Amino acid sequence: MEDKDFDRLLKTCRLRLSEEDNKKIKSDIDNILEYFNTIESVECSKYSPSYQAIDIPSNKRSDNVEPFPNTDQILKNSKIYRFYVVGPKI
Amino acid sequence: MKRYIEEFSCTNKHDDYYKKLVNELEGINGRLHIFNNINREINYGFPFSVKDNICVKGVESTASSKTLEGYLPPFDATAVERLKSKGFGFLGKANMDEFGFGTFGINCANPVRNPFDETRVAGGSSSGSAAAVSILKYHTAIAESTGGSISCPSSFCGVVGFTPTYGLVSRYGLIDYANSLDKIGIISRSASDIRYVFDIIKGRDKYDTTCVDNKVSDERKSKLIIINQLMKNVDEEILSRFDRFISKLQNSGYKVEHVDIPFIDKAIPAYYIISMAEASTNLAKYTGFKYGHKVNDFSLGYNEFFTEARDVFGIEAKRRLVLGTYVRSASVKSKYYEKALRLRHMLIDSFKDALNDGFIISPTMPILPPKLDEAKDLDPVKTYSIDSITVPPNLCGLPHISFPYDYVNGLPLGAQLITNHFNDYAILDFAERWEDEFEYKFKYNLGSL
Repeated sequence: MEDKDFDRLLKTCRLRLSEEDNKKIKSDIDNILEYFNTIESVECSKYSPSYQAIDIPSNKRSDNVEPFPNTDQILKNSKIYRFYVVGPKI
Repeated sequence: MKRYIEEFSCTNKHDDYYKKLVNELEGINGRLHIFNNINREINYGFPFSVKDNICVKGVESTASSKTLEGYLPPFDATAVERLKSKGFGFLGKANMDEFGFGTFGINCANPVRNPFDETRVAGGSSSGSAAAVSILKYHTAIAESTGGSISCPSSFCGVVGFTPTYGLVSRYGLIDYANSLDKIGIISRSASDIRYVFDIIKGRDKYDTTCVDNKVSDERKSKLIIINQLMKNVDEEILSRFDRFISKLQNSGYKVEHVDIPFIDKAIPAYYIISMAEASTNLAKYTGFKYGHKVNDFSLGYNEFFTEARDVFGIEAKRRLVLGTYVRSASVKSKYYEKALRLRHMLIDSFKDALNDGFIISPTMPILPPKLDEAKDLDPVKTYSIDSITVPPNLCGLPHISFPYDYVNGLPLGAQLITNHFNDYAILDFAERWEDEFEYKFKYNLGSL
């Protein structure tokens, strides 16, 4: 992978790597992609993509609002202002 | 197990028993790093541990990641809730590879050491769960497998590890690695204990739309199928012990047939493509402000804030995040991700053909548990290749079980048995029959009554 492509990929991932990790992961990625490329030799175009390994019937629940009894506990995991979770600027 | 569950629910003498057990565990945990935390509150119930990527209400659940440090789930995972309601008492959170990313249990702050030889790895990613079963006489572990995370450590630690058909056990409360592959399963000292726990935790759950309620069968097979390609990279000593084991099974009436699935070795790259693609989206929820690790500098812009939040991921998580993002990108998606999904479909069909009239059997792992330093020195492709036997059934969502069948130089060897979707009871039956004639060995029996 070209350096510029790798840097763009890191930006997409929102990742910042140390110089050492950058060198290591970049070299690993080239080897791993070479390994991934070996699936090209298998002809399987007549098979549809299997998004799940088993048939799963549609289990969607109806779209009703249900109160969650433990909202305070959820908020305890974050920094809050009044009853809002404080997040970064957008 | 039922008898002991009743015994453990009696309050008589239990306080002293539990205090002594916790003290013993804390002592050994300093050396072996099996638990991320141990429950000091006395529980009147049969002890069970929970892999640290499965939520227990009010107990720090980190998936061994710094990014989840301090996270206290406000709810129990469905499997945990069901066990608590049936006479089981929560013992502690078991150590693991960060988010399940690993084969040896070394991708975390303090790698678990193998109870049979403390210089060696316990296997991964459910390293702590398997090691906990290996040292505790009365205990069961709720673990999770994505690509072999139950079978591998169970084999290395000399215990029985069961991965059910995908979808039979609710994933509600599991900290996701790869949603189409993750399966909550059980590690115990016997297949009968596993059956008891499985019957409690399986079944439909309104909180997990991928959870199914299919009937589980026990169709016994008289044929054992060995897939030649799976035996290719197995260590010679393991191979010769496995041949002896197969001869014993032949003497007890099983027919043995060797078959070829020529492309089965491609299951590993296909698995890693799918799992990394799914993992890279799952890791997006660690934003640095909702739970776990917090970024406190709110003057940072949106991108800088999230970049800062992701600094605490370990190197394997970062590697998988980069690769998973890449294989999903528009220019290569059909070459990697979609192709891997088609390959999974083809492999499922091949397995179904092979499993029509037999079980697939093999050693669980191609090598003995390596020393910790040796495992750290392996490059990623070599490490991923070591999953060659455990990945195929996991990729296809097939039920499988690993159980000890021999010991070499004081280390246990595990065999892996695979069957068709939803024929889970049949492999538990098989392992139970094996346990009637073969006694498992353990180096520790903490918590004996």
